[in-house]
Amino acid sequence: MKEELRDLRFTLNGREVELKVKPKTLLLELLREDLKLTGTRTGCEVSACGACTVNIDGKAARACSILAVQVHGREVVTIEGVADGEKLHPIQEAMVNHGAIECGFCTSGMVMSARALLLENRRPSREEIKKAIQGNLCADSGYMKYVEAIEMAAKAMQGK
Amino acid sequence: MKDFSYAAPKTVKEAISVLAKVKGDGKIMCGGQSMLVLMKQNMLTPEHVVDIKGVSGLNYIRYSEKEGLRIGALATHSAIEKSPIIKKNCPVLAEMEDNLAVVQTRNWGTIGGNVCHGDPAADPPSVFIALNAKYKIMGPHGERLVAAEDFYKDYLEVDLEPDELLCEVQVPTVPANAGVAHDKLMAQKGDMGIVGAAAMVTLHPSTGACEDVRIVLTNVASTPFRARNSEKVLIGKVIDEKLLEEAGKIASEEVNPPSDVHGSEDYRRDMARVFLKRVTAKALEKAKQKK
Amino acid sequence: MEDYKNTYSILGKPVPRVDTRLKVTGQAKYAADYEMGGMLWGKIKRAPYAHARILSIDTSKAERLPGVKGVIVGKEFGGFTWGWQAHTRDESPLAVDKVRYMYEGVAAVAAIDKEIAEEACDLIDVEYQELPAVFDPFEAMKEGAPLVHENRPRNILVEYHWNFGNVDKAFDESYLVREDLFQTPRQAKGYIEPPAVVAWWEHDTLHYIGAKGSPYMLWRILGRAFNLPLNKVRIISPVVGCDFGGTKNDAHALDFTSILLAKKTGRPVKIVYTQWEELTTCLRRHAMWVRVKMGLSKDGMIKGLYTNVVADGGAYARMSPVTMYLTNGQATVPYRIDNFKTDTWNIYTNNPIAAAMRGHGMYHSRYAIDCQLDLMAKELGIDPVEIRHKNSIDNPKPGETYYTVNKLRVATCGIKECIEQTAKLFGWKEYQKRERAGGPIVHGAGIAASAFLSGARLTGHNSCSAIVRINEDGSVNLQTGATDVGMGSDTAMVAIAAEVLGLEMKDVEIKRVDTAYSYPDPGSYGSRVTIYAGEATMKAAEDAKRQLLEAAAKAMNVFPEELDIKNKKVFMKTDETRALPWLDVVREACYASIGNVIVGRGVSKRGTKGFSPKAFATGEGDVGTSYGFAAQINEVEIDTETGVVKCTEKSAMADDCGFPLNPAIVETQCIGGSYHQAISAAIYEEFVMDQGSTLNPNFVDYKRPRAYEAPFPKFAHVITNDPFGPFGVKEASEATTCTGAPAVINAIYDATGVMIKNMPATPEKMWRALKEKKEAEKKNSH
Repeated sequence: MKEELRDLRFTLNGREVELKVKPKTLLLELLREDLKLTGTRTGCEVSACGACTVNIDGKAARACSILAVQVHGREVVTIEGVADGEKLHPIQEAMVNHGAIECGFCTSGMVMSARALLLENRRPSREEIKKAIQGNLCADSGYMKYVEAIEMAAKAMQGK
Repeated sequence: MKDFSYAAPKTVKEAISVLAKVKGDGKIMCGGQSMLVLMKQNMLTPEHVVDIKGVSGLNYIRYSEKEGLRIGALATHSAIEKSPIIKKNCPVLAEMEDNLAVVQTRNWGTIGGNVCHGDPAADPPSVFIALNAKYKIMGPHGERLVAAEDFYKDYLEVDLEPDELLCEVQVPTVPANAGVAHDKLMAQKGDMGIVGAAAMVTLHPSTGACEDVRIVLTNVASTPFRARNSEKVLIGKVIDEKLLEEAGKIASEEVNPPSDVHGSEDYRRDMARVFLKRVTAKALEKAKQKK
Repeated sequence: MEDYKNTYSILGKPVPRVDTRLKVTGQAKYAADYEMGGMLWGKIKRAPYAHARILSIDTSKAERLPGVKGVIVGKEFGGFTWGWQAHTRDESPLAVDKVRYMYEGVAAVAAIDKEIAEEACDLIDVEYQELPAVFDPFEAMKEGAPLVHENRPRNILVEYHWNFGNVDKAFDESYLVREDLFQTPRQAKGYIEPPAVVAWWEHDTLHYIGAKGSPYMLWRILGRAFNLPLNKVRIISPVVGCDFGGTKNDAHALDFTSILLAKKTGRPVKIVYTQWEELTTCLRRHAMWVRVKMGLSKDGMIKGLYTNVVADGGAYARMSPVTMYLTNGQATVPYRIDNFKTDTWNIYTNNPIAAAMRGHGMYHSRYAIDCQLDLMAKELGIDPVEIRHKNSIDNPKPGETYYTVNKLRVATCGIKECIEQTAKLFGWKEYQKRERAGGPIVHGAGIAASAFLSGARLTGHNSCSAIVRINEDGSVNLQTGATDVGMGSDTAMVAIAAEVLGLEMKDVEIKRVDTAYSYPDPGSYGSRVTIYAGEATMKAAEDAKRQLLEAAAKAMNVFPEELDIKNKKVFMKTDETRALPWLDVVREACYASIGNVIVGRGVSKRGTKGFSPKAFATGEGDVGTSYGFAAQINEVEIDTETGVVKCTEKSAMADDCGFPLNPAIVETQCIGGSYHQAISAAIYEEFVMDQGSTLNPNFVDYKRPRAYEAPFPKFAHVITNDPFGPFGVKEASEATTCTGAPAVINAIYDATGVMIKNMPATPEKMWRALKEKKEAEKKNSH
């Protein structure tokens, strides 16, 4: 029973993916090691840093704390699936233009948390933005410009 | 992470049957937000994992005047946090969820998982106990109801047989003259409470005296702590600062809090007092506002 | 103040960084993202003792485990040790005779996957003889205390005793003299990316991809470790996820073991530390006991300063000699101090190693001095902003220089303006008039001012050079040895080259360091990159420009001195209508004769002589080119019943970095450095130790600062145009890092009257201090 691989079928960045996984494989391991999507990062082992944040059915979740098999039948978006080809998502555009990004290691997670927030709430208050990235540790930006960039992205997406 | 056998039942019946088969060596996993952290560090190494995230019929939030609030075990923290039904009929649960960890945890973690983990620092059990909630548990021999406050036996130990499954949390309608509140001591928003408290205060409709009060403290003992002796001081009286201080003091002496990097025993004792007072006062305010 | 934005075409403008597109799309590759064919996973076996002799190591069981391809132990490094100076080479890649700190590496395994490597580590049998240990530097300094290194009596690595002017006389003549003891916590670097490396051998050449901020530092160390000439050590830099001066700026067990395992197995070896390994075994900021004695006149002028600092350096030397110099040597800026004395020690203990960290050294003394200053200001009835302003060094007039009493050279000093701007942006005057609300929640604001060294130049090979190559299609390649660890140096270098060549940012391409092809640079530390690599880049671009203008001059039949380049046009300075497009000039230059390659070369020649050990002994002289200055005010909110302290959004800071090449980058750097490496230690962070064991080696129990509690500082740039940096630049963000903690601690003092002298002000610590204050007041009122 232990070595048994399970069928896993899910949508990843808009494409159907079908493979077999060991149940103990974490979603993060599947993404980084099996599917070679290294944009989702490994930061800590205690589900605290949020560098591994992805979107599952439009909601922010930590890939390090989810068994890969649990995304069966769901829609998963990673950082690689956010931009539209060469065209950056307004969140990405804002973060680049506003000078929020430093070493970039937390950036994937920040983008994914922001994306999920704006999918659900088109007019977030500053407080709601801070709450949405509370689970994303950064070590160099001071967060201020990330929050401001997300505010700018929300406005841009409302057409302002 | 140590390897394990894995089953993903699709119905409650199937889940119970799988659990019965692997009796003793099986662990239920749902959102995994508490379990996986421990399993990744090999602090928890179950032989069998029974993944109930895909079990149908357990993900709902319903309310009726007669039955009160019914929350399926698979309802996520986020669902509870954002539910209009909860906001209307039992807003304290949404307030509690607002401070529960971070959004990533709330999106995937479930109320059932949290409630059954048995961590005395967890928030939902304290609020459910304050609300006089019951847990509906299904097993091979049918279903049984357990009062939330009877469910917690010891640190990470709950009243659940290896072949049983928590299916539903039943919260009776909050009385018209009652107010409920929750708060916890956090250095950063979303922290596990260094200590925490939940309280429901029911006022006499005409005298304004405290008719009934239920106060629960978290992270001050090996299970959620029902501050009965503190409650006794308040019942039948018009609650004021002096009484709250007395009630708080009693609790601070009675509890047996842990000592760790987040707080010493001494500190937690005093914070038990502070949060008992604060949260009971908040619940009292809410009760008064209802009139 | 806004003029700086229009002085140049590109410099001074908040242009987007060159690498952020890669980062925001997830395409950026960090060390852990690299894979090589046939790669093995490495894991280090660590000792469960803080101090123990290694009696025997039996690796046979591990070697027999299927999937294991190689096992190594410390002896196999042939006695190699390394350290920052020749006489401080006290560290081996893996422990050989004894382990000196908890979880020090004793062996390493390479296997076909992570789990087998881990299992193999568990199968290595090590016999230890536990030794008595020392964990407190004061205990360690006593006669008869167990020695961490046999050749270091009383566990003293370095001690300095400096004396400038006459402090005793100064104290005698002071109106108010105070002596206070402050303590700084052991602090993690806090980056999210753990150290990672992929190493392999090819054609007798060592190949290494790893997260390092100073690849050339490692280049030289590895050359010595593996007996290789430098031309056979190839270090390739990936995108690096922050550095802050520690493990990613120096070497650690994973660097050596991956390489030796790769050699032994003939296959690439990858090692990725867990965050646990980072937090238990990697380099941290020193814990220091900083005793300060200061004498003030009645009107608050500083007459004399004495610092007595003991630091816990942990088990190995690393950079500690420099740390103690920077802690005390910089105490004479940003205020005028004519009498200054220091007694300072760095002590070995069996704790994990302490090393450089952003705000290196100054961070500790700044906390003590700037907080003591507020205590004294209170006693004298002088406003904290005013007392700093009046004591501040004046900005020297152009051509003039201010020398501190210990001969630090200050050519530009904008600290007075920084203090003025900060106070203005914060609304300090109005804030003092506020009504103090009743109730358990209180607010307060505090100020701190600091300086920090720019352009550090230490011993050893300090060559810093750059190459600008203009291709025949007009595109430009820029190569320096400087490493961007997230502070934006790549963007700064590109901006400098583009500015000099009259191009746009997108016309210049910079690649990350590859020691096989790029040119040495000492590294990303001591706020030196923009100054030295910037100078080299500027000169390289000027050299290339000169060659182009020579070609253009021929084509236009003028003298090269009559030409300039702007907006991708080469034009006559006296008649702008006579111009040629950039591409035409490039073609002219490149296709002349059989084909030219335009290569501009630049080498940085600036800087001081560099320190010598003598300078550390006397404390006299600089180790850098200039000093950046900053001031900061923060507001805190405190729940006096629970002791919880948090910053509010209300905050202001002003930074004098000479000239902000990119103001957006400077701002984020300053704001971030202050919150993550400083304020975090004032409120949240400390490693809790027990007999050498770290009790909180994870991001749940070791609290890092988060978004919800972040201050949102209003920011002002103060321009001083320093003569010793290209385009007038000095360091940015290390001075602000040094203001973060004292500003918050002073804010707590303002709010509650409690001065926290042993950061962090955790809820319990604050609660205890408030209780003690209340009890003391009760006693006094009787």
